[in-house]
Amino acid sequence: MDIEEQKRRRSELRYVLHLLRRNPLVLLGSALAIGSVLLALVSPLLVPANAWKISNFEIQNCWNNSLFNWHIANIATCPAGKVYPLGTDFYGRDLWSMIVVSLPTDLTIAFEIVGAAFIIGVTLGAVAAYAGGIIDEGVLRVTDIFFAFPVLSFAIVLATVVERTFFWLTVAVLVIWWPTYVRLSRSQILGEKEKPYVEALRAMGAGRIRIIFRHLIPNSIYPVLVQATLDVGGVILTFAGLMFLGFSPLPQIPELGNLVNIGISKSSFVTAPWVVIFPGLAILLIALGFNLLGDGIRDILDPRLRR
Amino acid sequence: MKLYEYVIRRLILAVFVLLSVSIIVFWLLRGPLPPETALAPYITPKMGPLEKLQLARTLGVATASCPSFSAFTSRAAGCIVPLYQQYFSWLWTALHGNFGYTFLPGLAGTGTTTWQVFSGRFGYTAELAIGGSVLTILIALPLGILSATHNNKVPDHLSRLFALLGYSVPIFVLGYLFQLVFGLYITVPLNGHALGLLPISGPLTTNCAICVANPGTVHSYTGAPLFDGLLSGNPAYFWDSLVALFLPAFTLAVTTIAALTRVLRSSMLEALRQDYVLLARSKGLRERVVIYRHALRNALLPAVTIAGLIVATLFGGVVLIEIVFAWPGIGAAAVSASLNFDVNFLELYILVTALILVVTNLFVDIIYAKLDPRIRY
Repeated sequence: MDIEEQKRRRSELRYVLHLLRRNPLVLLGSALAIGSVLLALVSPLLVPANAWKISNFEIQNCWNNSLFNWHIANIATCPAGKVYPLGTDFYGRDLWSMIVVSLPTDLTIAFEIVGAAFIIGVTLGAVAAYAGGIIDEGVLRVTDIFFAFPVLSFAIVLATVVERTFFWLTVAVLVIWWPTYVRLSRSQILGEKEKPYVEALRAMGAGRIRIIFRHLIPNSIYPVLVQATLDVGGVILTFAGLMFLGFSPLPQIPELGNLVNIGISKSSFVTAPWVVIFPGLAILLIALGFNLLGDGIRDILDPRLRR
Repeated sequence: MKLYEYVIRRLILAVFVLLSVSIIVFWLLRGPLPPETALAPYITPKMGPLEKLQLARTLGVATASCPSFSAFTSRAAGCIVPLYQQYFSWLWTALHGNFGYTFLPGLAGTGTTTWQVFSGRFGYTAELAIGGSVLTILIALPLGILSATHNNKVPDHLSRLFALLGYSVPIFVLGYLFQLVFGLYITVPLNGHALGLLPISGPLTTNCAICVANPGTVHSYTGAPLFDGLLSGNPAYFWDSLVALFLPAFTLAVTTIAALTRVLRSSMLEALRQDYVLLARSKGLRERVVIYRHALRNALLPAVTIAGLIVATLFGGVVLIEIVFAWPGIGAAAVSASLNFDVNFLELYILVTALILVVTNLFVDIIYAKLDPRIRY
C-alpha cells in the first residue's frame, strides 16, 4: 500500500466519521448501545449486595399503610418511590437493581449468539462461495432447511429438549440464527472472487485458505458486520421472548424477558404495571440503540444512499 | 430454463426441505427425551408395566424382544426400536393424517387427537396472521411512499424512527401496554358502567364498549370467527370478532410494518431516480400519476420479495401475541406443548409452519417472475 492509498483511506475514514457525527440518530444509537454495554460492565459496582434479599421492613414501609396486611400474597410489589426508584417486583427485589443485574446476562448472550453465528456463517459462506460446485450446493440446501423454520417456533422446539440452562438456551437460538450470515457472506464473496486481484493472487501461487481468509473475507466483511450490529437487537428480543414464554432456567433469575414474565405471571399486571413496563423499556432501549447504530452505519457505507 | 421447469425444480426442493425438517424435528424430539415420552398421551393411570410395554410395542417404540418396561425406560440394549425405523413408521402414519393423541393439559387422556386440536386452533392463528398482514400493508404502504417522496424531510425522519422503534420494541410488552391503555385507561360509559374501549383478551368477547352484546347463531365453516361470521351472514358476530382482532393484529403487525416501510422507501427512492420517472414528469403528468402509476408499480417488486420474511416474522411473533392476548391459536398451544413435552403436537406444529413458509416463498418467487418480465430462470 503506497502513501497515496493510505492518504485516500484516511480521508475516507474521516469522511465516514464526519457523516456519523452529522446524523443525530446514529449518535443516539451509539450512545444507547455503548451506554448499555458500560452499564453492564459496571453493574456489579452499582447494585448493592443485598439487592437480592427481600427486605420485609422496607416493603412494609413503602406501602406506608399500617392497616394493609402485606403478609398476604402479591404485596411484595411496591410502586416507585424514594427507596426503590422503579419499584419492586413480586419477590420484593428492587426492580432497578434487577434490570441492571440482567444487563450483563442479556448482552453477553446476545453477543455470544451474534458472534458465533457471524464466525460460522462467514466461514461457511466464504468457503461455499469460493469452492462452488457441490460444496456450495450442499451448504445452500442446509440453509434452505433452516430458513423453513420461524425463529421463535424452532427455538421453542429446541428448548423442549435441551437442559434449561443459559448455555443451552443460547445454543437453541444460535442454531436458528447462523444461516442468514451464510447467505449474506456467500453473496458478498461471490462478487468479490471475480475481481482481478484474486486472479493475480492465484497466479502468484497463494493458497485457497490464504485467499479466502486473508483477502476475500476482509474485503467483503462490512455488510456482514452491519447485519451483525442490527442483529444484536433482534437476538435480544428473541431471547427475551423465549424467556418471557417461561423457558427460563429459574423462575427468579434476573433476565429482562424473565422479569416481564414475573410481572405477568406472579403479580397482577393491572395493579403493578411497572414490573412489566420497565424491563420492557430496557429491552426497547438496548435493541433501539443497536438498530439505530447498524442502520446508520449501513446508510453511511452504502454509496448509493450517501448524500 | 422455462418457468414451469423452474417451478418443478422448486417443488422438488420444497419436498426435500420438508422431509429434512421432519427428520430434524423427529430426531430432536424423540432422540434426547426419555423413551416413555412418546407413550405419555396414551397412558391411563390404571395401566400396569406389562400393559405399558405392550403399548410401547404397538406404538413401534419398543422391540418385540424387550423383556420388561423398566428395561425399556432405562434404554436397555436392543430394547428400543432404532430411531430411523421409528421415523419411517411415524412418517407413514403422518402421511395418512394420523399424528397421534395429544398430551396438552386438560386434553391428556381424553382421546383427543393432535389433528383435532390443531385444526380447531389453526383458524384462530390464520385469522390473526391475516389480520396482521392486512394491517401491515394498509399502514406500511402509505408510510413508505410518504417517506420516499419526502426524502430527508420531517415525514421521512418520523417514519424512519417509527420503523426502527417497531424493530426494537418487544411486542409482548407492547401488547400488555395496549391492553392497559385501550382496555383499562380509555373507557367509555355504557349503561352506567365504565367499559374498556377495546376487548383485551380472546377472539370473541362482549366485555368492551364498542362490541356487540348478542352475537347470535353462527355456523363453523372455517374455524376462524371473523370468516365464520361473514360466511354465516351474521354481521354482529363479524363485527364482534373484528373488534377483538384489532389489538392483537396491530401489535403483531408492528415489526412487519417497520420492515415493509424500510424496503418500500428504498425501492421507491430507487424508482423515483429512474429515467422513466423523469420522462413521465417532463410529459407534464401530474405528480400523483407519476408516483402511483409509474414509480410505485416498479417499487412494489422488491417489496414482494420480503413477503416470505413477513410471513416468517408473523408466525414467530404470533406465539408471543397469542400468549399475551389469550388467543386460542396454535402458537399458544405449541408453548404449552413444549412445557408439557407433547412431542406429537410440536411435530405437527413445526411441519405446518414450515410448509406455510416454504409454499409462501415458492409463490413469491413465481409471482416475482410473472411480474418482472426481465427475470429469466
